[in-house]
Amino acid sequence: MDSQALYHQISVLLSRYVHTIDDDELEAWPDLFTEQCVYRVISRENHARGMPVAAMYCDSRAMLIDRVVSLRHANIYEQQSYRHVVSALLVDDNEDGSYSARSNYVVYRTRTNGVTEVYNTGVYEDRIVTDNEGWRFAEKHVIFDTGRIDTLMVIPI
Amino acid sequence: MTSIVNATTNPAVLDWPQTDEGFAVPYDVFTSPDVYAREQERIFRGENWSFVALEAEIPNSGDYKTTFIGDTPVVVTRDDEGGINVIQNRCAHRGALVCRELRGNAAHLECVYHQWAYDLKGKLLGVPFRRGVKGKGGMPKSFDLGAHGLDVLRTESLAGLVFATFSDEAPPLADYLGPTTVAAVTRIFNRPVAVLGDQRQFMHGNWKLYAENTRDPYHASLLHLFHNTFGLYRASQQGASVMDGDGRHSLLYTRASTTDEAVDREIYKDSRSLNSEFRLQDPSLLAGRADFDDDITLVILSIFPNVIVQQIANTLAVRQIVTHGEDGFELVWTHFGYADDDEEMRAIRIKQSNLIGPAGLISMEDGEAVEIVQKAVVRDRERASYIAMGGGRAEDAEHLVTEGAIIGFWEAYRQQMAAA
Amino acid sequence: MSSLVRLCAVDEVSEGEPRRVVVDGYPPLAVYQVGDDYFVTADTCTHGMASLCEGYQDGEEIECPYHGGAFNIKSGEPLAFPCTEPLETVPVELADDALWVASRAGA
Repeated sequence: MDSQALYHQISVLLSRYVHTIDDDELEAWPDLFTEQCVYRVISRENHARGMPVAAMYCDSRAMLIDRVVSLRHANIYEQQSYRHVVSALLVDDNEDGSYSARSNYVVYRTRTNGVTEVYNTGVYEDRIVTDNEGWRFAEKHVIFDTGRIDTLMVIPI
Repeated sequence: MTSIVNATTNPAVLDWPQTDEGFAVPYDVFTSPDVYAREQERIFRGENWSFVALEAEIPNSGDYKTTFIGDTPVVVTRDDEGGINVIQNRCAHRGALVCRELRGNAAHLECVYHQWAYDLKGKLLGVPFRRGVKGKGGMPKSFDLGAHGLDVLRTESLAGLVFATFSDEAPPLADYLGPTTVAAVTRIFNRPVAVLGDQRQFMHGNWKLYAENTRDPYHASLLHLFHNTFGLYRASQQGASVMDGDGRHSLLYTRASTTDEAVDREIYKDSRSLNSEFRLQDPSLLAGRADFDDDITLVILSIFPNVIVQQIANTLAVRQIVTHGEDGFELVWTHFGYADDDEEMRAIRIKQSNLIGPAGLISMEDGEAVEIVQKAVVRDRERASYIAMGGGRAEDAEHLVTEGAIIGFWEAYRQQMAAA
Repeated sequence: MSSLVRLCAVDEVSEGEPRRVVVDGYPPLAVYQVGDDYFVTADTCTHGMASLCEGYQDGEEIECPYHGGAFNIKSGEPLAFPCTEPLETVPVELADDALWVASRAGA
């Protein structure tokens, strides 16, 4: 695939990803992943040390659905919304039918008092595939710098 | 509702209301900076042992970790004789932080400011320009390296947990913990552990709100609704609440579910908690293997003042409280498994870690609970809480519908905070 | 055949006041008197970059002025924290009221 076209497609996928979350369309979030996928939200501290514990770790689309159901019907947390900013995207063709993407992200979080703060920032390291159902994440590794998680983390990054 | 008529005259010495029913905690304790300052002195530097590290975090000679006791910075080192030292992280020269990294390995500790160098036990090894340069300057002739080492704390370990105290009067660690706590610790730490990673969660509330929360066995099925939503833990499960010593330490545990749907429907009939209509789409989240021979599947062991040891299914962790003023604290979660876990067991623990930590499906709400109290009590220092579930006394219970252990904590706390 | 190069006059060195000398083919050198004998080591401390001649001599020990590390003058052996690497020592000859070492000029 032409590199500019590839960059465009992945850029669009990332934009769709963050809009889905920021617009609270979380039921659509798991559909951006393949059925057997990896979604891992891990601190840079752990990642750099080779430590496996992640804040969120899902290895199937079904687990993503469970996270959304839990968020909607079980978990109790202050109403909050995210605004992602994604930048510095770099893309690679893995030559095996998948593509790698690396980008920076910042999540600004707004709580019920209307105050917006930098909540979480880090890097997305993604493995992306495409088929007749579209472009999706086979793996999304969210490696966050913000080691000190403020209050709790319930909405996916 | 009980209230105190007069505000405390000395905010650092608390005025606890007398009540006929239940137990009352003045909200002042959560919001007063004077109380916080007094706690740093009387509790965190008092006759208490504070948790600082797992031995497994500093296995090799030269390994070190920086942390806090209350808000005092300390360094925990493994020296070249295999010993563990807990040292105040404050240069004997002009007070700088000596060790500025979270963790690492070094042959000696050196302050960046003037390169005062200390060995891993805190002994001063050398200072630059001690004899001056070309006959000018230098330290006084009377300068004695031995008199300017770092302040070293009393240190003891139990089953691989390292504790330290500022006090020469604190009893030996095992006596401080008491038999129930020692047994609960050694049950979990029965063989070498391996650290799986840390998580850090900041809560905008007073640290004692978390101390209450972890001594509160009955909020789980009412606040942590993941259990109920997906049909897991319930208040009808068998368990107990047991305190040690003067009530400062608390052990909550539950036995494997004897899920009795009829009983649960009765208990929860009017509350929002009853909802087992959802099933996990991917139940592998909860797949596990028994770690212990007994049928206890959940342990929350709160060790006064600053650590909680937990077993929740196959997740094992310590949660350390680091105070940041009267209205904030960081909870440092150190997840671990056993050194002899096979790959499958490790994978189980990693996946089940979704349940705990700051994004924990069953633990995240504690952050919300702490903050909603801190927000509501801000201007009501003369008012008090009402704690009576289970009888309103600091008593053990063979069930989970009690707040007795919370009262135990407050009675011990009150005693420690009282005027000397 | 090794020729010799002159470092300094004997009366330019005294116990407690080592002398720094620079000659071709060598790193900067330190010349010491210890009792009735003379010794030569490299002048640059193996720990930091300090000149040992600016340090403190106590008999056969030389203490670096920078961090207070020390070496044995005769053997170059490190004696005190933070010095761990030995100091180069150079055989020295006394002749004509001067101190000489093997020439390394052009080496």
